[in-house]
Formats: sequence, structure tokens, C-alpha cells
Amino acid sequence: MRPIELSIGAESTIYKVERWGKEFALKWRHKKPYLHPEIDRQLRTARTTRECRMLNFARLNGITTPTIHAVDLTENTIMMDYIKGEQLKQLVPVISSKRLRSLCFDFGRTLAKLHNSNVVHGDPTTSNFIVDSHDDLWVLDFGLAEWNATAEMKGVDLHLVRRVLETTHWDVQEAMLEATLKGYVSTIGDEAEHILSRMEEIRERGRYH
Amino acid sequence: MDLTCLGIEGTAHSFGAAIVSDDGTIHSNIYSMFSPHEGGIHPREASRYHSEIGPELIGKSISTAQIDPSDIDLIAFSRGPGLGPCLRTTATMARTLALTMSIPLVGVNHCVAHIEIGCLESGFHDPVTVYVSGGNTQIIAYAGKRFRTFGETMDIAIGNMLDVLGRSLGMPFPAGPLVEKEALAGSKLQLLPYSVKGMDLSYSGMLTAAQRLWSDGAPLEEVCFSVQETAFGMLAEISERALAHTKKKELLLTGGVARNNRLTEILEGVASRHNVEFHRVSPQLAGDQGAMIAWTGIQQFQSGDSVEIADSHVLPRWRTDEQDITWRA
Repeated sequence: MRPIELSIGAESTIYKVERWGKEFALKWRHKKPYLHPEIDRQLRTARTTRECRMLNFARLNGITTPTIHAVDLTENTIMMDYIKGEQLKQLVPVISSKRLRSLCFDFGRTLAKLHNSNVVHGDPTTSNFIVDSHDDLWVLDFGLAEWNATAEMKGVDLHLVRRVLETTHWDVQEAMLEATLKGYVSTIGDEAEHILSRMEEIRERGRYH
Repeated sequence: MDLTCLGIEGTAHSFGAAIVSDDGTIHSNIYSMFSPHEGGIHPREASRYHSEIGPELIGKSISTAQIDPSDIDLIAFSRGPGLGPCLRTTATMARTLALTMSIPLVGVNHCVAHIEIGCLESGFHDPVTVYVSGGNTQIIAYAGKRFRTFGETMDIAIGNMLDVLGRSLGMPFPAGPLVEKEALAGSKLQLLPYSVKGMDLSYSGMLTAAQRLWSDGAPLEEVCFSVQETAFGMLAEISERALAHTKKKELLLTGGVARNNRLTEILEGVASRHNVEFHRVSPQLAGDQGAMIAWTGIQQFQSGDSVEIADSHVLPRWRTDEQDITWRA
């Protein structure tokens, strides 16, 4: 089977490939000729390395992430499980409000689990969460994730969640935010209040917010 | 219906007046920029400048358009966001004209106007807009009757960053064009902090590091080159993230910093990678000017959105996504 291009992301292109009689996703951070070559090289390598480590680390902490099968740090490719499912973003407009609430609760809980292991995702949009046929939530795209997360960094993560709800799911944003934060608070523990107030503070920081 | 609009812009350092008609013809577009002898923009000084040159520029926009003042059907003004004193001076002129001439008044959102003038020029219908200026750095796209901010700076705007850097480098205001010119001579990259969070970015850390680089003795062209490559690289990344997320097919570059050729080249590359169309707003429409206010005012008025004088107070912190876009489907 020839590689099939699945999508062009911000940093990489995703292909479906076949190996050992099975299907895998191949994430390729290829060169971007319009960037300065040194900046481009550093970003591609740093993020490929980081993504591999984070995918594994997150799974060790009970978060569902694809398994890595091969890495090439010269070409900056990662071969990982191909997850059959739908982006949370695509499901939002077509599912019942009850199922949406339940998925958002899970979304918040998953993020809290990650934060409890002192990692922030860095790009927690509804494009980066995949729902499989068992309604399990898979987390992808750890290229912007960071270790040693402080309350400030966790607040930024939540701010980004709120932002994507406002821009992409504006018609159901209140219900989604409520369910997501409920799930988040149920799992994060004592730090909840501190992080939520950080989220508010960060929102006020934008130029006209 | 044949509609002629006088648009008045004055949110920050620039004042502009323009005559535009509802078929999208720009009959005149006169603008002028306040530049301080030293330091940054003081809102009160800028507003004094507006009140001094405003009437003359408005008169010039009418004479250049070769129309009679009585041909004007509508006054549109920049209602916000921006510097309070500047907004109030501009609004006072707009109200006076609307009252004297007994014609309707429309309050336009400055950021929305930058997008709409870009759409008029490019023929784009539904772009991801990269809006970069002295006061704004935003990635905006339309969804559900609003222009929504998908990403923005978490601290200072890119134009502001370039101006502050320029001041440290001994350049006059505005420093952007001079930084661009110096960067052309540079080729050695000094690594600077690169800060992207999802579709947001931050420039203050990079600015501090660049200022330190300069005081540590790095050559001027090297500092300028490194700042441009890093700052624009970050902007490219969040633009790509917005394109990948929204799946929109057009990329629009607008605002004063759109005049930068290196930024344009980088975003052209982004557009080609994502198979989307690209347009950079031409220099005379990229910065703050009245044509964008007039054109947006016309569309707003045609969809039934005008404002009574008594309710026309300015909105210094008016967000892009707080304006109902009544004229778009």
C-alpha cells in the first residue's frame, strides 16, 4: 500500500501507511522552506523528540494515547497507532447534548489527569482529541507539551480550551465549558481553585480581553 | 441604491478620511501619521494632532473624490478599539458632520474594518486573517455571525515589539521598516526565545533577549535579522494551526506590519503548503486609513446597523468578536 495523505496539520503531515500487515499513522514533520533553516530544524527535532516522550509518559499516567512503533530523528517521523475514530470537533455538532456533556466531562478529566502528572498539553483543542467507537478519548499532538507544569501553565491550557470553545463551538460553548470544567475539577484536586483563577487572569491579559 | 460614505479613522497615531461608494470604489483615501520626536505615542499628543489636521484631511478627501459634500449619504467612524483621547476626537468630528449634514452615523469596529477592506481588495469571502499592526496581533476567522479571534498575542503586539526594539537600537518611530531594511543585510541567526501556546504567541521574552543581544555587542543587522525570522516564524506557526483547525481556503495578511516583505514571503509559503489562496493587503490599505471604515460602514448601514448620536460613545476596548456581523451570511 502506498502512503495515503490523511491531513496537513500545522507542523506536520499525517499519512496512513501499512507495515507488518497492519495500518499505522505516520506523522512527518517535513522541512518548511519558508522558515529559516535553523529555526525549522530545531523546531522539527525538538517537537518530534518531545512528542515521543510525552505520548509515552502520558500513557504511563493513565491517559489513552497511540503507541509509538518507530521514530526517525533524521527525517523527523513518528510511526504510531492509527486510531479509528472522529475528532471531538467533528462530533460536537452532530451528537446529543447528553453525549456531548459526557464527552466534555471526560475531556476535562483527561486534561486534569495530564496536569496531575505535571504535564501541560500546549494545544488542547477539540481537533486533538479523538473519540473511538467505545467512546474512549484518545489524546494526540503532544508537540507543544511541556514538563514541570506550574499553575500558570495549567491555566494557559484551560484558557486555550475555553478559546477553542468560543471560536469553534460558540453555539454550545457554555454547556461544553461547564461540563469540561466539572470533569477537570473532579480530578485535579486541591489545586483547582488556583488554576481556574489563573485561567481567568490569563484571559484578561490579551490586548483587548 | 447608490450610497456614498465618508469614513473617518483615528484610533491611534494615524488619522484618515476617505470617500467610498457602495460598489466598492474608493474615490479618495487620505491619511497622515503622527510621529513623536522621541519616545512612543502619547495618546493626548496624538489626539491633539488629529484635531489639528482632521478637518483639513476630511476636506481633502472630499475634494480629491471630486464630489460635493451634499453627495455624502453617510458618515462612518472608527468607534474602537483604540486610545481613548484619539477615539473621542475622531468621534466628535463624525458626530458634528452627521448632525450638520443630517445624515446617518455608523460606528465601525477598527479590527473588523481591516478584515473587510482586505476582503474587498482580494475578493476573498471567508479567509483566515492575520492582522498585524502596532497595537494588534490576531488570527481571526468568521464563524456564526462574528469574526472570532482564534489566536492572539498574550503580551505585546508585533508592531509594538518592533517599535520598542527599534528605540533600543536608536531608530526613529515607526521602526518596522528600518528593522526590515537592516535585516536584509543580516544572514547569521542568533537563537531567540520562541514562544507559541496553541494558537497564541508571546513576544516580550524575545524582545528582552534581543535587547540583551544588542547591548552585548551583536551587529545591528544580525539583531534585526534574528528578530524578524523568529517573530515571523511564530506567526507562521499559529497561522498554520488556524488553517489546519478551521480548514478555510483563504489566507489574508492585513494591518500595518503587512507591509513587511519577509513576513509576506513566509506566509506565502504557509499558504502554498496548505493549498490555500493568499493575499497581502496593498500598502495604502494595510495601515490605518478611512477607506476601510467607509467600506465597512456602508455594509453595516445596508444591513440596518447605524447609531444615534446620543448612543455613539466610543469603545476603547471593543473586541473584534463583540461586533455582530449583520451583513454576512
